[in-house]
Amino acid sequence: MQQTLAVDEAPPFKPRRRIGRPAFGTLLFLLYIFLLAPLLIVFVIAFESNQYLSFPPQGFTLKWFEMLPSESIFVDGMKVTLVVAASVTVIVLAIGVPAALALDRYEFKGKGALHAFFLSPLLVPSIVLALGLVLILTPLGLTNTYEGIIIGHVAITFPFVVRTTLMSLTTADTSCEAAARILGAGAWTVFRRITLPLIRSGVIAGGIIAFIVSFDEAVISLFVAGSGLPTLPVQIFQYVSNSADAAVAALSVVLILISLGVVVVVERVMGLRKAL
Amino acid sequence: MTVLPQLAPLRKVNPVNSANTVGSSKLSIVDLTKRYAPGLEPAVDRLCMDVEEGHLVALLGPSGCGKTTTLRMVAGLMDPTAGSIVVDGKDITQTPVNKRGMGMVFQSYALFPHMDVAQNVAFGLQMRKVPSGEQAKRVNAALEMVKLAHLSKRKVRELSGGQQQRIALARALVVEPTLLLLDEPLSNLDAKLRETMRSEIRSIQQRTKATTLFVTHDQDEALDMADRIAVMNGGLIEQYDTPAMVYERPTTRFVADFIGQANFLTAQVLSENGQAADGERYYKVEVGGLGRYSAVGAPGLAGSSREIVIRPHRLRASLHPRPGDDAIAGTIERVSYTGDTIAFAVRVGDRRLLAQSMTSSADMPRTGDAAYLSWEAADAFLLPGHIRGSGT
Repeated sequence: MQQTLAVDEAPPFKPRRRIGRPAFGTLLFLLYIFLLAPLLIVFVIAFESNQYLSFPPQGFTLKWFEMLPSESIFVDGMKVTLVVAASVTVIVLAIGVPAALALDRYEFKGKGALHAFFLSPLLVPSIVLALGLVLILTPLGLTNTYEGIIIGHVAITFPFVVRTTLMSLTTADTSCEAAARILGAGAWTVFRRITLPLIRSGVIAGGIIAFIVSFDEAVISLFVAGSGLPTLPVQIFQYVSNSADAAVAALSVVLILISLGVVVVVERVMGLRKAL
Repeated sequence: MTVLPQLAPLRKVNPVNSANTVGSSKLSIVDLTKRYAPGLEPAVDRLCMDVEEGHLVALLGPSGCGKTTTLRMVAGLMDPTAGSIVVDGKDITQTPVNKRGMGMVFQSYALFPHMDVAQNVAFGLQMRKVPSGEQAKRVNAALEMVKLAHLSKRKVRELSGGQQQRIALARALVVEPTLLLLDEPLSNLDAKLRETMRSEIRSIQQRTKATTLFVTHDQDEALDMADRIAVMNGGLIEQYDTPAMVYERPTTRFVADFIGQANFLTAQVLSENGQAADGERYYKVEVGGLGRYSAVGAPGLAGSSREIVIRPHRLRASLHPRPGDDAIAGTIERVSYTGDTIAFAVRVGDRRLLAQSMTSSADMPRTGDAAYLSWEAADAFLLPGHIRGSGT
């Protein structure tokens, strides 16, 4: 008891002396360099005239960018990736949002276990998941199909959607739904007119994350459909193993700009900080 | 602080279980029970209650007494374990919440944050498929009723607490609900605003003649606003009566203690001592170790042991006993002056009694003085129930 008192009466925390701020600033700067340096190098290489991936740069060229549209493996890969990512986003939202609703709003047996199970793909290494998927999908004849890749991607993006939706559900006032019901709204109307708008930001955030994760995913795509229906990351991986020219760097620059575009649009439309 | 209720004539009202006027009441609750889990004490225990058309009834009690559970069952937000709810002679116990046609104001107001004020108020009308022209008219009328028509295009989050509360009220009333349900609607407002909203809600309720159930833990609110108060404790109604009766003629020690301040004296009722008003009788009583005094109570109490309730403001503290009065001698332990009233804590043996006077006259005792406490026989009320356990 007396010890607790002593702790309670300890003098308030004193801010550190002036050396702290510049030191913190420098640390932050170095950290950003560490994070961004690989990206910067990709940018530099993309405009490099030398035939092979190398550093430092020797000349400026746009030929790698000009080459991209004619490189069918990139175009096809991009098509597959976009179809997969779009389908995955729609499907994972359609099942993830109701799952989060059930977890948040209802009491049932095994709720805790289900909760843990829904989030478990985050904890399982994707190589293990990929192996398991191949073992299951092969007898079903779903390897090298869109369905196969989509199933795999839905599995890994599902926890993100459940997570972000749950987050906005717990902060949303449940009495709003009760108020709407009392005012005469049926279950579906309450969901469409009240619940969904209330959790909109979590759902959008989940959708964006799902899209990006699917867009970026390589391991599962490689295992499930690497030979027959390669996605863009798989194509890039295979391209780099065969030839080491800077076309991949140019492609990376394009991808970075696309992501940046998405981020800017989302920020403009609804404010990214609110969404994430 | 206690609001002293205006002393309406102490009319006798039907006690809780003599529900003989089923036809004329707007809402009848019959044996309503809620048990959250088998084996647990019920949160609401065979509750019976009739509410007359146009009345505002307060469900008053400490937290956990079952008042909110009762309200939520009436609203349809919660299924009762047993019992039935009858509105306008129709059993609605099984009617889903969205078909009950009620209006409710939540403690958090529960306004829809993604809609503006007018859209919030219009929601119930949209659900009823009211034509849009009429919708606009009724929304406007409802907003005018709460004096906020000029804010109809505002976002909900731009409103103050008091404004949100009015919008919630307008949203509930615009659909002309069968019952208006208010769940602690004033508890999130500051003290000043609460007083204003109290009289405003009451006057809107009287104008619209909406039959209203009002959940509160604030006795002042209940005394001020309600036509009837149901004092609840442990899932049961302790007393269901007019504010004046609940205050002046509590049926149990819990009610006397919960509503306002009260002094309790255990007494042996010796003999009847004449007719009092409203069929009550005066009695001679013996208060343990203090002497013989007068009190009032229901007929037939002579020879029993009962508790006397005396409100502090009915107990006079003076330096000299007035000739002819029964008085208890004590010592003033504490004097607290609050402007319009002055309160005394008086030590009498091992008891501590509270007395309260409106004005300070010359004969005001000070701390440490020996003083006398006296009362009118009609203000010392013998509780009808037997003494529970060994209360002091």
